[in-house]
Amino acid sequence: MTGRVPLARRSLFADRRRAALATVGVAAALSLVLLFDGLFAGALHQATTYQRGWQADLVVSQQGVRTMHMSASALPPATVASARAVPGVLWAEPIRYTSAVVHAGPAEQFAYVIGYDTATGRGGPRHLVGGRPPTAGQAVIDRLGARRLHVVVGRTITVLGRSWVVSGLSAGGTSIVNTTVFVTNDAFAGLRGPAVSYILVGTQPGAGVVAVGDRLAAAMPTATVQTRAGFVHEEGNITRDMSADILRIVTLIGLLIALAVIALTLFTLTLARMRDYGVLKALGAPNRRLAAVVATQAAWSVALALAVALLLAIALAAIVSHLAPTLSIIIAPASVARTGAGALIVGALGSIIPLRRVARVDPASVFRRAA
Amino acid sequence: MPGRVPLGRRNLFADGRRLAASIVAVGLAVMLMLLLAGFDTGVRVRSTLLEDRLGADLYVVQPGSNDLQGDVSVVPISDVNLVRADPGVAWAAPLRALYVMVDLRGLKQPVYLLGAIPGQRGGPWRMSRGRTPRSDDEIVISPVLARRYGLHIGGTLPLMGRTFRIVGYAADASGFMFTFAYVTHAATDALLASPGTTSVVLIGTRPGQTGAVTARLQARGLNVATRDELAATDRRLLTGIFGSFLALTVVIAFAAGVAIVSLTVYTSVVERRREFGIVKAIGATPARLVAIVVGQTLVLTLLGLAAGWLLFLAGRVLVLWYRPQFAIIATRDSVGFAALAALAMAVLAALVPARRLSALDPATAYRGG
Repeated sequence: MTGRVPLARRSLFADRRRAALATVGVAAALSLVLLFDGLFAGALHQATTYQRGWQADLVVSQQGVRTMHMSASALPPATVASARAVPGVLWAEPIRYTSAVVHAGPAEQFAYVIGYDTATGRGGPRHLVGGRPPTAGQAVIDRLGARRLHVVVGRTITVLGRSWVVSGLSAGGTSIVNTTVFVTNDAFAGLRGPAVSYILVGTQPGAGVVAVGDRLAAAMPTATVQTRAGFVHEEGNITRDMSADILRIVTLIGLLIALAVIALTLFTLTLARMRDYGVLKALGAPNRRLAAVVATQAAWSVALALAVALLLAIALAAIVSHLAPTLSIIIAPASVARTGAGALIVGALGSIIPLRRVARVDPASVFRRAA
Repeated sequence: MPGRVPLGRRNLFADGRRLAASIVAVGLAVMLMLLLAGFDTGVRVRSTLLEDRLGADLYVVQPGSNDLQGDVSVVPISDVNLVRADPGVAWAAPLRALYVMVDLRGLKQPVYLLGAIPGQRGGPWRMSRGRTPRSDDEIVISPVLARRYGLHIGGTLPLMGRTFRIVGYAADASGFMFTFAYVTHAATDALLASPGTTSVVLIGTRPGQTGAVTARLQARGLNVATRDELAATDRRLLTGIFGSFLALTVVIAFAAGVAIVSLTVYTSVVERRREFGIVKAIGATPARLVAIVVGQTLVLTLLGLAAGWLLFLAGRVLVLWYRPQFAIIATRDSVGFAALAALAMAVLAALVPARRLSALDPATAYRGG
């Protein structure tokens, strides 16, 4: 005797087609959970790409306003000078913002429209992948948005009630929800009035971001001052909070499907091998040993299905990103770990009925003729 | 002989617990498809709630704009008087509309804020409790928002640096992922530091005058849109966002369903291979055996479809109890789609067990089980 017979594994994989079908069933359910998690992780990443690209240390907005998406912020233009006058402030740059629908012929898309100072570039596109920054009457649009609208540099788009010639293309500013359009601050103000939306602030080296932030908040009691990281976090919370409910519902259903398939597989397998369990029991195997066989089968089912689900999710993410570049799917290790933990719980729950059947198996059944 | 033995059915129903687990699993996959289709329909219906409830025949919106919820439209408030001067106009009212992100109990909650002049159109279309806002620090909210975050009439709600006193609950005031809230127009002027402007001008026309009013106002340089034009754009824009999510999820749920049906039928075929061997040995053609398998997959998917419908109804009740702002609407199309998907599941799921059965050696009947 060289050691134990891997009974659990052998019986699980005795019929490969059955094992494959069971694995596909569980894997499909788990990949659903992984993909949804990935879709929302992607959406979260996309939602904060613009704000993460700011060179600012601090962000000033209207009192009570902490975000951009589905938000409006209006500050008096004089606030910019007030910010610049605060000790420790190296620079303060206003941006103007609204959400809008951008049109090009029959095509249309939700967009963030941002007015920025093209001389400093602060608050503008992080980098251009084509063309040049806008001048009066011109706009830069994200390249994925441009592709969706079928426009190139030199063509015209309509937004904020007027036409703009596309002067350049930016990158990283299109999500599943919207794209980004940049115009000059003056052009924006000419259409929407002098109020500024946000003020980006750079601090002097050694001045201390928090200390300058506190001074800004004291100097502008009717404004909200946040660090850039704080603003990005708040912006991310919109996606997190708005998607959490749907994510929970889909994850729960995905795990329930996985539970049903795992339970089905283990139950079927246990019933089919009931005589073998009787033999083991007749030979003196304690219930603990038989339970270990079922538990091992559950662990194998879950591990294999999770591996297949991961491969499936990665492949689908690649295909989806190719077919629909605005959909970003990020399969993060933490998400895999969470799904794996959920699958383990599901595996444990799915083992309960087979375990009870195994515990009750009568060793004498070995000596009876199989039905 | 009284007739054929219903071999497939007997085979399928031989083990009740296994059958039940399979039906539940298929039902869950079908339920997921129905729920997501229901979400999609909910978005479609809720996306035009504003146009459906405001009761205007025409809207003046910012030039170049043809929707209500995507564009933050800005038009001069003086356009209202221009519109009212038209002989075909029965009434006209300015309406400010903007999204506001509210922090409640540490969560971000989007609110679609509507600012109307008290006594004019654009306020809550139906009140469920309390009264409409009269002063610039009063607000009417959706009871859905109130219940979720423990808000109540007489309490306060902070918005963009100002504090509003809740004076009423508006019925039918939930969008798909946001709720409506109502304040005075002057309150929104102050919030946006934008006096002298509004978002849209709502217009009620005299009978038979809609076309003529549109032509006259457009001739004066205003961008006039009908309810249907705005609704179509809002619907297109909002449903477009969820379309790709939906398609992807339905495909995966479908794949899971195929695997589950196939697994169940395959297992029953394998376990009864001796009986199938006997059937083959006494002359059953491969077509008869495949028909038995397809019959089993069809019965299983039909039972799964029925279970999916029941699970969907129960799931919808649970989801709407948990989050009343969602709208999950089953339509004839979505149920028809689920039925077709179940049929396709049955056919695809039959492939693996049918292959196994057609390759079965009749001599199996003479071997031990």
